[in-house]
Amino acid sequence: MEENRLVERSKQGDEEAFGVLVKNYKTKVFNLAFSFTRNRETADDLAQEVFIKVFYALEKFKFKSGFGTWLYRIAANHFKDYMRKHGKERHISIEDLGREPSQSVDEIKKKEQVQEAADKKKLLYRALQSLPEKHQVILTLRDIQGHSYEEIASILKLSPGTVDSRLHRARKLLRKKIAPFLSQEGGNHEM
Amino acid sequence: MKCKKAETFLSRSLDGLIAEEEKSALEEHLKSCSACRKKKDEYVFITETLRMEEFPEINPFFWERLQPRLKEGKKYAFLSVWKRWSLRAVPVSIIAVVTLALGLTVFIPQPAAELSQTGDLLLRNNPPLPETVTLIEAESGENKSMQLIFLAMEEKPDLRRYFP
Repeated sequence: MEENRLVERSKQGDEEAFGVLVKNYKTKVFNLAFSFTRNRETADDLAQEVFIKVFYALEKFKFKSGFGTWLYRIAANHFKDYMRKHGKERHISIEDLGREPSQSVDEIKKKEQVQEAADKKKLLYRALQSLPEKHQVILTLRDIQGHSYEEIASILKLSPGTVDSRLHRARKLLRKKIAPFLSQEGGNHEM
Repeated sequence: MKCKKAETFLSRSLDGLIAEEEKSALEEHLKSCSACRKKKDEYVFITETLRMEEFPEINPFFWERLQPRLKEGKKYAFLSVWKRWSLRAVPVSIIAVVTLALGLTVFIPQPAAELSQTGDLLLRNNPPLPETVTLIEAESGENKSMQLIFLAMEEKPDLRRYFP
């Protein structure tokens, strides 16, 4: 059935039609939630909360944008609220990897290449979570979720120019945070 | 090209949003700048890692778990509507009461202060005592004013000045 028809029926309280919309979007919303929280259970709970919000906000949906964009906007705002309440800026250090603080980067390099890549990835996500929420949101939407600039502009109600500049600032900030850990000279830095 | 500009181009090139001449200028700059080459490697690492993100499987029975929560929400939906309207009703009621009170104060006419019989007669130019008619008619207007002042002082003794 066409999406707009499903939305219309859901607006009239048809749970079956809403169930189809949930089925179509649950993975995308869950993945977005997981990108922010890095925790499966929390992401699942947040995704459920988003669909409850959407169900009761459906009467306000006027088809000015696509349903998916509108849903993503609600989800992004919900996750931003969550991060504001639970995810104060984290200061991360190389100890986050669970190593001894005295362990040098040279010793780290001796570890298996696979393990090193996993560690770097873990650090990158920790650094991402330590960014201000607006930068975290835009990087998640663009680089993890793969939305286009236009889609991001529509979801976050920003101009494409603002999306471009904010994305550039966010990447620059993330690079600065992660750079000491990627370089050979990296040591026991605090982010 | 300056390194700052090169970094902006590096970021845009990750999204393929860079013109040909900008791309050539960036490549030219990268040849001679090791710091920017390092930055490029870092940007590539960041975006490639984020774009290859692997997501866990969503927990099973998502819809089945969601349905009862939607029904529960419906049960309390009317309460939230009432709460929303009651919150709006409070300031509206206060404004209505204040407006009504002001309206009553301004538009309802106040009863005029009653004059004593003597004062009333004097104001109407009628002498309070018939035997004073000649006296009042004979005297100037100034004396009449004085009489009114003394009369007021008799009726409101607190207006009198204290003479030691």
